Amino acid sequence: MKDKHSLAMVLLKGRTLIVLALLVIFFSLATPNFLTTNTLLLLAKHVALYGILAIGMTYVIITGGIDLSVGAVVGLAGMIAGGLIQKGLTLEFAGVTLYFDVPLVVLITVAVGALIGWLNGIIITKFGVAPFIATLGTMYIARGFAMLHSNGATYSNILGNAALGNTGFDFFGSRILGIPVGALILAVIAVVSAALLMKTTFGWHVFAIGGNSKAAKLSGVKVNKVTILVYIFSGICAAIVGIITASQLEASHPASGETWEMNAIAAAVLGGTSMMGGIGTISGTIVGAFVIGVISDGMVMCGVSEFWQMIIKGLVIILAVIIDQFQRNMEAKMALAARNEAKKEG
Amino acid sequence: MATWKKMLAVVSMLCLMAVTLTGCGGQKASTGDNGSQQALKGGGSNIIYIITPSHSNPFFKTEAEAAAAKAKSLGYEVKTVSHDDDATKQSELFDNAISDKAAAIICDNAGADATVAAVQKARDAGIPTFLIDREINGSGIAISQIVANNYQGAKGIAEKFVEAMGEKGEYAELLGKESDTNAGVRSSAFHEVIDQYPDMKMVAQQTANWEQTEANQKTETILQSNPNIKGIICGNDTMAVGAVAAIKNAGLAGKVAVIGVDGSDEAAAAIRDGSMVGTALQQAALIAEMAVEQADKYLKTGSTGLDEKQLVDCVIITKDNVAKLKTFVYKE
Repeated sequence: MKDKHSLAMVLLKGRTLIVLALLVIFFSLATPNFLTTNTLLLLAKHVALYGILAIGMTYVIITGGIDLSVGAVVGLAGMIAGGLIQKGLTLEFAGVTLYFDVPLVVLITVAVGALIGWLNGIIITKFGVAPFIATLGTMYIARGFAMLHSNGATYSNILGNAALGNTGFDFFGSRILGIPVGALILAVIAVVSAALLMKTTFGWHVFAIGGNSKAAKLSGVKVNKVTILVYIFSGICAAIVGIITASQLEASHPASGETWEMNAIAAAVLGGTSMMGGIGTISGTIVGAFVIGVISDGMVMCGVSEFWQMIIKGLVIILAVIIDQFQRNMEAKMALAARNEAKKEG
Repeated sequence: MATWKKMLAVVSMLCLMAVTLTGCGGQKASTGDNGSQQALKGGGSNIIYIITPSHSNPFFKTEAEAAAAKAKSLGYEVKTVSHDDDATKQSELFDNAISDKAAAIICDNAGADATVAAVQKARDAGIPTFLIDREINGSGIAISQIVANNYQGAKGIAEKFVEAMGEKGEYAELLGKESDTNAGVRSSAFHEVIDQYPDMKMVAQQTANWEQTEANQKTETILQSNPNIKGIICGNDTMAVGAVAAIKNAGLAGKVAVIGVDGSDEAAAAIRDGSMVGTALQQAALIAEMAVEQADKYLKTGSTGLDEKQLVDCVIITKDNVAKLKTFVYKE
């Protein structure tokens, strides 16, 4: 009886990975070119965009919050990076235009992402605004600034100018040893953030806040500080994604990243992150992001209409959460059974 | 007692229905009064309202700015607003224009069906509406409907595409938002030309929702599953530019023919450097100026002297004439 239970638990816990494997097998049979190195690298490149967003989102959701502003920050970050390279920074009062080299452009862009995350954190912790509302507000603000930045126009051909010493922005869209840089960045962020979440006190505090924020506060966790840091991290992730997309397209468009926050939330939820907070893993989120990526890329290769992709994505998300609930119930039951058994023996 | 209450409820319901019905009847009568024969005088002020989709798209920005400049030069006060492709918001903007007693409304609308009621509302208030870029499903309500000839434009550029492909080979298509009429019109015009050539074979067709990032990712994936592709036809330039970036990235620069529709500056740059074959320019500024001129004439004389539905031909842009194109304006 116990063995049967634990086998079922193993299957349940690995369900997203199993779904991913099944999807890959299905598409490899359906289209001959699916299971090739190049397709999988492309897949990783596509997944990197919302995968990175989803990592930041996972932290936020574990604290029991939500960050709706990430898609807009992607758009704003792209515009800032593109603008700095193409137009430079004009200081009206000094009458000069400054051009920065690419590392500095990246640093400034990431700083702006962090700033918006910090704003989110302050609004939520110091002013007690619900995360959904606070980040909904900053979503509109960030999108508005993205539009204002160029008056709605696209910055195209953001390759920099050798004379100004700001070439090389296309690096984030290029490949190193054949691997897309975006995918490499995803891997680095995933490893670092997983270690941070599982191995450090900071990570433990993040879980504690989502589990029970009052209890966490009473046991000495600096709830406000940790919450603000988590939103800053999410903002930084979004800014990085903005840089990568702008670099891949060699163009930045202010409407870029619209509704991407939804894909990020979907990936986190598919990976077993609980919207109630307190539960979630980075590895689960990455697998969840790949499930979404395989569905969309695979169906394009099969030539299926996008409308079906939307329906299937929706079904997979709902199914994932239903199984999640099932798993929770089962875990609770097993814990209860174990306690009863212990009582009997005692 | 209970029956009595029920009776009361039924009677009051009937009364309510009667009131509602009379309301409808009254409205209809008023529509009849200023029917198509009688010219609309405008709301009384000197304001022209220009209602377009979001200016984040340079196409609509050019259109709105061209209309505004023309109206100002004709001595009107101008109010430029955006409905962001939201029919509800558009209806509210029409309400604003009506309470502002606008002289005329120039509108690039938010939906062929959803706009009819809003235009009718303006008409009932005596304000003439001139539609640009997109038609509505109804005639005799707006004064003019001036749109680019998408069909002619898409056919024209499809011919250039066939030429560039050497009349044979595999190609893919990126469709616009499928709920948008223009996406369908452009696609069927493309195929009317291309399908005449038996050696041209479409191996993939996906919607990219008029969007650059989506077009980029879908092109990458399509190139992966169909390595022999020699061409990509796109429903607009934004998608074409996304496809060009994917082609470059796959190391196929110059080997895949790409066409789009719209005539954006990004597409013009791609045509100049040879990564795009061409595009069909919708003369946004010209159409907007025509609408304002017709509004002016209508307000002064009571007629535009032209048919309600007017098609403005697209200009086929290729490497040969791309130099004459700038921000949706083609100068000979």
